[in-house]
Amino acid sequence: MTVSREDIAAFVDGELSVEQEGQIAAAIAADPDLQGQVEAHRALKERLSGHFAPIAEEPVPDALAALLVPKQAEVVDFSAAKRRSTTSRAIPRWGWVAGPALAASLALAVFLPRSGTPDGYADEQLARVLDTRLVAEQVQDADTRILLSFRNYQGDFCRAFSNTEASGIACRDAEGWKLEALGKARDEAGTDYRMAGASEGDLLARAQQMADGPALDAAAEAQARENGWLVAQ
Amino acid sequence: MDETGAIIRLIHGRQKTLNPSFEQDLLAMLPRLRRFAVGLCGNSADGDDLCQMSIERALANRDKWQDGSRLDSWMYRIMRNLWIDEGRASTRRRETFAAEDAGLSVGGEGAQESAVELSMVDRAMQKLPEEQREAVLLVMVEGYAYKEAAEIVGCPVGTLNSRLVRGRDALLELLGEKA
Repeated sequence: MTVSREDIAAFVDGELSVEQEGQIAAAIAADPDLQGQVEAHRALKERLSGHFAPIAEEPVPDALAALLVPKQAEVVDFSAAKRRSTTSRAIPRWGWVAGPALAASLALAVFLPRSGTPDGYADEQLARVLDTRLVAEQVQDADTRILLSFRNYQGDFCRAFSNTEASGIACRDAEGWKLEALGKARDEAGTDYRMAGASEGDLLARAQQMADGPALDAAAEAQARENGWLVAQ
Repeated sequence: MDETGAIIRLIHGRQKTLNPSFEQDLLAMLPRLRRFAVGLCGNSADGDDLCQMSIERALANRDKWQDGSRLDSWMYRIMRNLWIDEGRASTRRRETFAAEDAGLSVGGEGAQESAVELSMVDRAMQKLPEEQREAVLLVMVEGYAYKEAAEIVGCPVGTLNSRLVRGRDALLELLGEKA
């Protein structure tokens, strides 16, 4: 049989089926010229892998590794993390709510009342979204997205939201939607994919701290909306 | 009502953007990615630049990575595409410099055996057309099966195979290991 260059390469790379391999091996065994080719391919492979191996042994430059070091803790399992935080009373890891006063005041400026809304409460526009929008129903690219709804330790309904101007958590009391936490604006860099929002991660961590139990599911949210987000007596 | 299930689903939708194992997995494969990048570019400065661009592209597009598919193949494909798209100009620049360097260093060779050896392989690799170089690196250095390498490159297996064989034959010729 004739053995092609492709056959030799595939033989050396272990890419042939058992049957093909047997045939090629037999042909090689009978032909010193083919044996030489196999040897040359094996030597080349060793030389190349030996040549490039040290690069993978080197320490990775810090600048590259730094790109991949997570910037904050993540929310993976809400309820498990919740259990941990209630038992250990860990220091809250979100610094942003108490954090840079400047950022907070910038964010506050967005939500502070334009008219008729008490201090520290969501303005009309935001309140309308908080009143009506359900997580399950909202469109992906809504201006203001509701991340999740939950009940806090006082039993009030709270909702984490984010939009292009700011993000935060608001809890419904008798007065309206009280802003309990404010974060950064949503990153709008891409429309076809969403950036890993540092602000959303923080927000979910914060929600986890505040929540007395798991987030509301779609049915519970719908029920809460029906009751005007006020706790049924 | 299964509220725990609901929150898990709710959080799950966000998990890809928050899941730290994405970064950790990338970090773990970074040494290999650098090796591939340096192999493609022919020097570590350009290789590290390519690595950085690839990581940034991957982080920005993490939503496009399908959970359960191989992250390493996905990363290699990103890197390879960036190299093809953006690397060509710098490759041409470097080849000009490399030619000058080679001219200057004539007579200096042999002083250090290993340095000569390194530069021989590097130069031979840089002489290969891009499509052959990447095929050689993916299979012979990174250890990918033909099928996997073809998926990374985005070509049929047969095409990958023939590029690989041409690249190998050229290298055997250049490195004086022709059978």
